[in-house]
Amino acid sequence: MFRFAPYVCKTLWRHRLRSLLTISGSAVAIFVMGFIHSVQQGLDRMVQGEDAQRRLIVFQENRFCPTSSRLPEDYARRIAQVPGVTDVLPIQVWTNNCRASLDVVVVHGVPATRLPEHRKLRLEQGQWDNFTQRSDAAVVGRQFAQRRRVRLGDQLTFGSMSVHVAGIFASDSAAEEDLIYCHLLFLQLAAGQSAAGLVTQLEVKVDEQTDPDTAAKQIDEQLRTGLVPTATRRKGAFQTATISDLVDLIAYSYWLSLACVGLVLSLVATTTVMSVQDRVQEHAVLQTLGVRPGRLMRLILAESTLLCLAGGAAGVGLAWLVLQWGQFSVGAEGVAITLRPSAELATAGLLVSLGLGLMAGFLPAYQASRTPLVAALRQS
Amino acid sequence: MPLIEIRNLTKRFRKGDEVITPVLELDLDIEPGEFVALMGKSGTGKSTLLNLVAGIDRPDTGSIMVAGTDLTRLSRGQLADWRAAHLGYVFQTHNLVPVLTAYENVELPLLLLPMTSRERRNRVDFALQVVGLSDRAQHFPRQLSGGQEQRVGIARAIVAHPTVVVADEPTGNLDEETSRQIQTLLQELNRQLGMTMIMVTHDAEVASIASRQLHMEHGRVATPPPTLTATV
Repeated sequence: MFRFAPYVCKTLWRHRLRSLLTISGSAVAIFVMGFIHSVQQGLDRMVQGEDAQRRLIVFQENRFCPTSSRLPEDYARRIAQVPGVTDVLPIQVWTNNCRASLDVVVVHGVPATRLPEHRKLRLEQGQWDNFTQRSDAAVVGRQFAQRRRVRLGDQLTFGSMSVHVAGIFASDSAAEEDLIYCHLLFLQLAAGQSAAGLVTQLEVKVDEQTDPDTAAKQIDEQLRTGLVPTATRRKGAFQTATISDLVDLIAYSYWLSLACVGLVLSLVATTTVMSVQDRVQEHAVLQTLGVRPGRLMRLILAESTLLCLAGGAAGVGLAWLVLQWGQFSVGAEGVAITLRPSAELATAGLLVSLGLGLMAGFLPAYQASRTPLVAALRQS
Repeated sequence: MPLIEIRNLTKRFRKGDEVITPVLELDLDIEPGEFVALMGKSGTGKSTLLNLVAGIDRPDTGSIMVAGTDLTRLSRGQLADWRAAHLGYVFQTHNLVPVLTAYENVELPLLLLPMTSRERRNRVDFALQVVGLSDRAQHFPRQLSGGQEQRVGIARAIVAHPTVVVADEPTGNLDEETSRQIQTLLQELNRQLGMTMIMVTHDAEVASIASRQLHMEHGRVATPPPTLTATV
């Protein structure tokens, strides 16, 4: 088969404009597909991790936007009394936009000294001490810093609030890298004097023996007599519910990615059919020389697959570059989905391209291999 | 013993409501090293017979034995293998692959046979030398004249040292001078390399280079000269 590789490559090069247009069309479609899948992957990463399943979020009942949830910080003490609860972290959340946005800014105010024990963050720049010792200090996620070109020592201003960047951190969780952490009290005061002692949500850790859903019910039961009713869910479920509109949109975009697949299929199939129709006589000559019908099929399949793979590789490469460069995140209600390139995404793109190339070429290849030779040789 | 033995060969095909029989109950023997010219008017079955012997068409009845192999019993794949190993085909319109150089076109049939790249190179060089185109090896078909293209086609037909070479109107698209050069070349290949050849032509002058001329009429050999072994 490889002996015919020069023939296959030269055939594609013969109609280079047609090949190039097909490759570029496939590349755009695979790029869009990759982009859509990166959103899906970001969502999966956010709601399927161990933290998302084992940790609970206590939020004000029937509220979604962080600005509207106001829980007494003192709830932390009462929640800690629930059996199975090992730790409670009060969090004040600030976001620049509660609606869906492609450039959402989310600031979490937490007790600074407790942050390292609750989040697996690696400071790439700066010192923890600089963060804990300065009340207006903040540590910024790497992805957010890259997107907004934030540097260590910068003064970041959001609305009426201004923080000093004391560190830039990396995390295994992509969603974490899109957050800013500052001191809880600082963020409470930034929201006004009346916000002192209030938090947006409480994050609860339960031990391994406790079922998180049972603990959630017990927490809501425990706080039923409190000033503010609560709704407690697993962190993943909370995030999914918070951005449910966005989740629906992401599910809908799955169909768009299928349309992209169909587009590549029809594009490459059309090119292959045209190429085969142009070369009916040439294929008959090859068979007269002794090329078996099966080998002819493989040659045509190799052409369609190469076209598709070239387009797929270009699309995957483009998606990788754009996702890496753009450091995008899409979010709503203070919950952000981060878009990241991944080896899994690239592999999926290339495998889809490979499959589409084979599918697109199959019918024309089969027809070419079954064409009666004498009739084909007479075609001009 | 004949190299090619054709017995009771009939080929029919349907054209609309009409059934055409270009070859009808034909018997023919061709000896090794013979150069046979098939002549006749259009539609007398000479090209059909050539294609049947070449294994690119199938008869309705009869048998075609070439060097002991009955082509009518081979599958499509087996026929392709047989053609690769035993057949050289010279087309009227050259039919070179436009994206390949003269060298690569001649090399094509060898890619289907088990041999080293060195052996392939030697054979291609020899074939191009035989047809006098060693200096045009890296030229593409569009850079060659009609006569040169046909020479490359002939080199491609002989490069695998086939059992039989068939040629369908090999000079039909050439001017008089080039046609004579191709005739001479075919004659030399037959005489010097001992290749068995079957050539279809409607030109008596071209046919005269063959050692035997067969006139076909209504699907049969019409007027066999006394030396012929073919019977109707």
